[in-house]
Amino acid sequence: MKTGRQTFNKWQLPLTLVLFLSGLLLVMALRSLAASDSNPTRLQNDNLVNLIKTQEREIAGIQADISARRNLINNSRLTSASGKQALVSLQSQIQQLDIVAGYTEAKGPGLLISLDDNRKDAEAAQARNPAQFKPDDFLIHDRNLLYVVNDLRAAGAEAISVNDQRVVASTEFRCAGNTILVNTTRLAPPYIIRAIGNQNSLTRTLDLPESEFNILKMSGFPVSVESSPALLLPAYKGSYQFSFATPKAGS
Amino acid sequence: MWLPILGLLLGIGIGSALAIPIPGIYAKYLSVAVLAALDSVFGGLKSIIEDKFDGAVLLTGFFTNALLAALLAFLGDRLGVDLYLAAVFAFGVRLFQNLAIIRREMIANWLQKRRLSVQEAKKNG
Repeated sequence: MKTGRQTFNKWQLPLTLVLFLSGLLLVMALRSLAASDSNPTRLQNDNLVNLIKTQEREIAGIQADISARRNLINNSRLTSASGKQALVSLQSQIQQLDIVAGYTEAKGPGLLISLDDNRKDAEAAQARNPAQFKPDDFLIHDRNLLYVVNDLRAAGAEAISVNDQRVVASTEFRCAGNTILVNTTRLAPPYIIRAIGNQNSLTRTLDLPESEFNILKMSGFPVSVESSPALLLPAYKGSYQFSFATPKAGS
Repeated sequence: MWLPILGLLLGIGIGSALAIPIPGIYAKYLSVAVLAALDSVFGGLKSIIEDKFDGAVLLTGFFTNALLAALLAFLGDRLGVDLYLAAVFAFGVRLFQNLAIIRREMIANWLQKRRLSVQEAKKNG
């Protein structure tokens, strides 16, 4: 029994030490291998992604600031208007301009249009003829959105939004890599366009053979349109800056 | 019995916790060293089962093998010859040999125990 105990102790400690060091080495090797996976391109991508994220956070902060200031203006406007009849007409004018400028949320009847990339046909086309497959032909581009919005405006739409971005006078539709920028915010498909206006006239314009919506529909894109009695459009989250343009005096 | 396993877990735990940064270019040498370490571990287990265990042999074998393997890999890189493959081959073969011996010994021990217990049962019955 005593010798058994001795042999037991004899191998335990060295083996423990060896196993301890083996474990340590193993983990270190695994870690360094995982670290060596990251190549410069991926590192650069990570940096860029981080940059975008911080910028977006900054934008969100500034937008919160803008909406707070806007509330402040509204409040002071209300208090200043109390009891002053002369200002009432101006106030209603301002309210209308607020809708045009997108400073307030807008609600009313209109159309809800959905545009999406044509993934089904894209896959089929790629399977059929990979050499001549052009993925661009099956995506919704910035210009498609712009044309649809333009058609809606021509049909008398009073307020328009794309996804969560209100379309205002300064709104741009821009292609940025594989996303579309609207109000310098990245959008992803499906694109939901809400337009407040005369439903009949809007629908008629969309149904015209040369309308962008109709062209997309005929090209096989999964697009849809539905009437809604009560749409709610978000307010424009950005701000207008005028550094060069000034109103002409006397007009 | 549990102390060596505890040592292994402790090694993995400390290794993960400390997170010593190793540049990617040394990853290969470290991998070869790990192989050498594993070879030592299985060699030790084999010697325990064969009742020929010697702590000094195990420890010196562990350090010299791991260091030599890493050194060989390093030298191979300098010379433009994949010398580390020699270490991988040698340790790999030894690993499997040791594993085979451990397996045989364990089966032999188990069979012997069973035979003894059967004999015991016969005697009693």
